[in-house]
Amino acid sequence: MHELSLAIEIGRLVEEKLGESVARCVTVGVEVGTQSGVEPSALEFCLEAVFSHPPWTGAKPAITRPDGDIFQVSYFEIEDDDGPQD
Amino acid sequence: MTVRRIEVRERVMARNDELAAQVRERLARHHVTAINLMSSPGSGKTTLLERTLSVLGEALEIAVVAGDCQTQNDADRLAEHTGRLVQAVVTGGACHLDALQVNEALDNLDLDRTRLLIIENVGNLVCPASWDLGEQVRVVLFAVTEGEDKPLKYPKMFEKADWVVLTKTDLLPYVPFDEERALRYCRQVNPKLQFIQVSAMNGHGMAEWFNFVRQTVGPLVSA
Repeated sequence: MHELSLAIEIGRLVEEKLGESVARCVTVGVEVGTQSGVEPSALEFCLEAVFSHPPWTGAKPAITRPDGDIFQVSYFEIEDDDGPQD
Repeated sequence: MTVRRIEVRERVMARNDELAAQVRERLARHHVTAINLMSSPGSGKTTLLERTLSVLGEALEIAVVAGDCQTQNDADRLAEHTGRLVQAVVTGGACHLDALQVNEALDNLDLDRTRLLIIENVGNLVCPASWDLGEQVRVVLFAVTEGEDKPLKYPKMFEKADWVVLTKTDLLPYVPFDEERALRYCRQVNPKLQFIQVSAMNGHGMAEWFNFVRQTVGPLVSA
């Protein structure tokens, strides 16, 4: 039911970690425990909506379902523009 | 292009929990105790609060923050029973109150002249369980017009609660509600739960509820 506000909070968390980085965020790993009370398919839908805007544009949610009531952002992956090599 | 993985391992609720800690600290500074009152819609939160405000509102300096998806009907109803401010929070469709909303609502209350804050959450047995609001005590209302198996269907709400108030007991003769089974299911989910049975309509059990409220507030602490 409150998946959209959770998705926005996940976006905020990732944005905070990205900081000033210009790297493109490609994947956000989220652990949604089976007892967390969060509906993974609704969350995925909401995350896709959030991730259709900068600074997350194009990021894909990767939701896993561990046991228990854990609900956390476990990691995210960014694509660096390597730039000129030394 | 290189893909780099950055470990985060941060709970999604961490920010709400931080804000809830701020609310808790703010209330403690003013010696205010807070109760988070939760239940499904229509199980009697507002009626119980009306009686509570009428009897104890002044003596215990009770302030209320009432949350609803839409309308401030509950806050208006409650305001008729107290001269003290009832702060409405219209969530605009959101299914629960969060700590930020409570913290903002506190700005409008005179905390120095408040001993008890009752937060009437949005009627919902699912989402409010996940959001810490900075309260000391969590109370779930469970009306005898609901199914006895509500605790099994919505375990998180009952797991996180401290007290269950069985409401509308005046209707027990008319509804097929097996009280013993309902309490057993509650204990099955959370053995530490404590119970009060009330009818805000005919007054049955209300003395016990008022005692609970008085004890929760505790003795007057001079500032």
